[in-house]
Amino acid sequence: MLKVGNAFLVMTVLISAFFLYSLEHGTRGIERQIVKLKTGISDEREAIKLLNAEWSSLTRPDRLQHLAEEQLKLQPMKAGQVVTYADLANRIPAAAPVQLPSDGSDPIGSILEKMQ
Amino acid sequence: MAKDFDLNNSKLGGQNRIRLLAIIFCAFFLMIALQLGKLTLLHKFETSVSELGHRDLPLPRPDIVDRNGVVMATDIAVSSLYSDPRKITDIDEAVELLTATLPELDAKTLRGRLTQPGKAFVWLKRQASPEERDAVYNLGIPGVGYVNERKRVYPLGRLAAHTIGYVDVDTKGIAGIEKFLDDQGALYTASLGEPETQTSQPAQLSIDIRVQQAVTDEVAKAVVKFKAKSGGGIILDTETGEILALVSLPDYNPNAEDKRLTSDQQNRLTSGVFELGSVIKAVTFAMAFDYGTTSMTATYDARHPLIIGNARISDFHATRRMLTVPEVFTNSSNIGTARMAMQVGLEGHHEFLQRVGLLDRLVTEVPESARPLLPRIWNKLASATAAFGHGFAVQPLQGLSVVADLINGGMSVPPTFLKRTKEEAQVLAHRIVKPETSEKMRYLFRLNVTEGTAAKADVIGYRVGGKTGTAEKVINGHYSKDKSLATFIGAFPMESPKYAIFVMLDEPQALPETYGFSTAGWNAVPTAANIIERVAPLLGVMPKFTEDDLAKLAKQNKPEAKHG
Repeated sequence: MLKVGNAFLVMTVLISAFFLYSLEHGTRGIERQIVKLKTGISDEREAIKLLNAEWSSLTRPDRLQHLAEEQLKLQPMKAGQVVTYADLANRIPAAAPVQLPSDGSDPIGSILEKMQ
Repeated sequence: MAKDFDLNNSKLGGQNRIRLLAIIFCAFFLMIALQLGKLTLLHKFETSVSELGHRDLPLPRPDIVDRNGVVMATDIAVSSLYSDPRKITDIDEAVELLTATLPELDAKTLRGRLTQPGKAFVWLKRQASPEERDAVYNLGIPGVGYVNERKRVYPLGRLAAHTIGYVDVDTKGIAGIEKFLDDQGALYTASLGEPETQTSQPAQLSIDIRVQQAVTDEVAKAVVKFKAKSGGGIILDTETGEILALVSLPDYNPNAEDKRLTSDQQNRLTSGVFELGSVIKAVTFAMAFDYGTTSMTATYDARHPLIIGNARISDFHATRRMLTVPEVFTNSSNIGTARMAMQVGLEGHHEFLQRVGLLDRLVTEVPESARPLLPRIWNKLASATAAFGHGFAVQPLQGLSVVADLINGGMSVPPTFLKRTKEEAQVLAHRIVKPETSEKMRYLFRLNVTEGTAAKADVIGYRVGGKTGTAEKVINGHYSKDKSLATFIGAFPMESPKYAIFVMLDEPQALPETYGFSTAGWNAVPTAANIIERVAPLLGVMPKFTEDDLAKLAKQNKPEAKHG
């Protein structure tokens, strides 16, 4: 009787030890994963910051103004050109002020070609 | 003796020995059990899970963004490479490898630094990029390591540099909003922090970079055109006190390593004081209306110069006749304005200047702020000259803020560089003049543009109002005849001014197309008009046209139509 009891206890110890070990092993793995993810998040965050800074630098108004003056034939808007939505119907010109390029031509492509 | 002892007490000795062993075993087992319990139950791991994965980076500074969320200043991660020369086994090989990877290092100086006796720490390169760091790390030289650091970058470069300020190499704020975030604004900075993720909300400024660029561009053009020493421009929201743009030229590049600013590069709009000249007349008019000592129909004698003691006050554009109040304003008559101040009296004048805040130092978030320079003795002459802006100097921002308060309905709103809502502004505001006074000031400002000294500010459709000032500069204690400071303070749309504008040109030169004039009406005013034309659509001010305006526009458009 005592032998059976002892055997049972030994088995229980072995099983629970194995269970505990595998649990801890699992936890370690998850912890490592958390660390990896957190590092990843913080890396991504740094990357986002860098990209935001770059975006801000590339779209800064003085640069855009310089590019627009160089590449586009635009002029500062005059007060007379501002039209309310309600007034829009009365302000449609009879003839189209801008002639759209005919099919097959590529205005942006030609600008790019000129730049090269 | 020992043998005797053993023989006599052998039984007892054996028992004792077993007991001793048992006690020692028990003690050891207890220790093991305790240690086991401590390790499994009570022990806290060096790094708990929530702290894992964080870099050894210093806490980040909040980003600075403009009112639309455009990044103006941000931190980027960089690494600084260092070495411990004592641990390097082969200095020659290390120098060779390092100079091959980091071409900017000079082999000779590097060798010199690494072979200094007793040195345990040498910076190889501060603020290196991640690629450089990895390249050096992969060389595998013993005794070479890196620390992660943050570097402050200003993606917009010179734009709004005076407002943002800058930091030193240890990312401590030295000037501008950067200094505010560290010093007086530390509480505000802390409120932005998010300890959970070790990040921080951005500090949002009132600046609009598109407006800032428009003002910078136009002021820069004017400085070149009129060969001025320097220039400045401000756009202020009169209702909320938000500063939408603040330009002081010449400016500087906040990203430059070496930022020893010359005195010219300082933010002259807040850290400098200037005699603003005739624009201050607006304050005198508001005072006289508010005390009720004058009215629109009153007249003033401008036939002869005004003599006070042995001083003589005369007009720049002498009219030599009786002037009504609106005429005093549109002709910018010193005599008439001085007489208005004399009617109010010394006490009243001083009290009014105190009330509008011109006698105190204007304090905003930007720490560079100068105290006004006031007359030492407040007597009749000081009061009469102060009436037209002579003899006392204030920060240009302060001058604009006071005028904006006089025309926005009479409420004093402290100017700010941080984004603020209308409700927040109303809590801070207090009344300084009656609404009727403000109404009259609006009328005079608009009149001065339609038929006065600021005629060139009339951007058709945007109902601009304004007052010019050409202050002779004090050189060696005397007013100079040919060196002047041209200023313009205006607002639009004038029926309920939403935005106030200030333009300043220091020592503008006369040009052939200005017919030899160097007064504000010929330089600062057209500059302001150019600015308003560019920024009004950005600010959402709807143009309105009267019959007259449409006729003027048609006239302007005709020659253009031929070209088109």
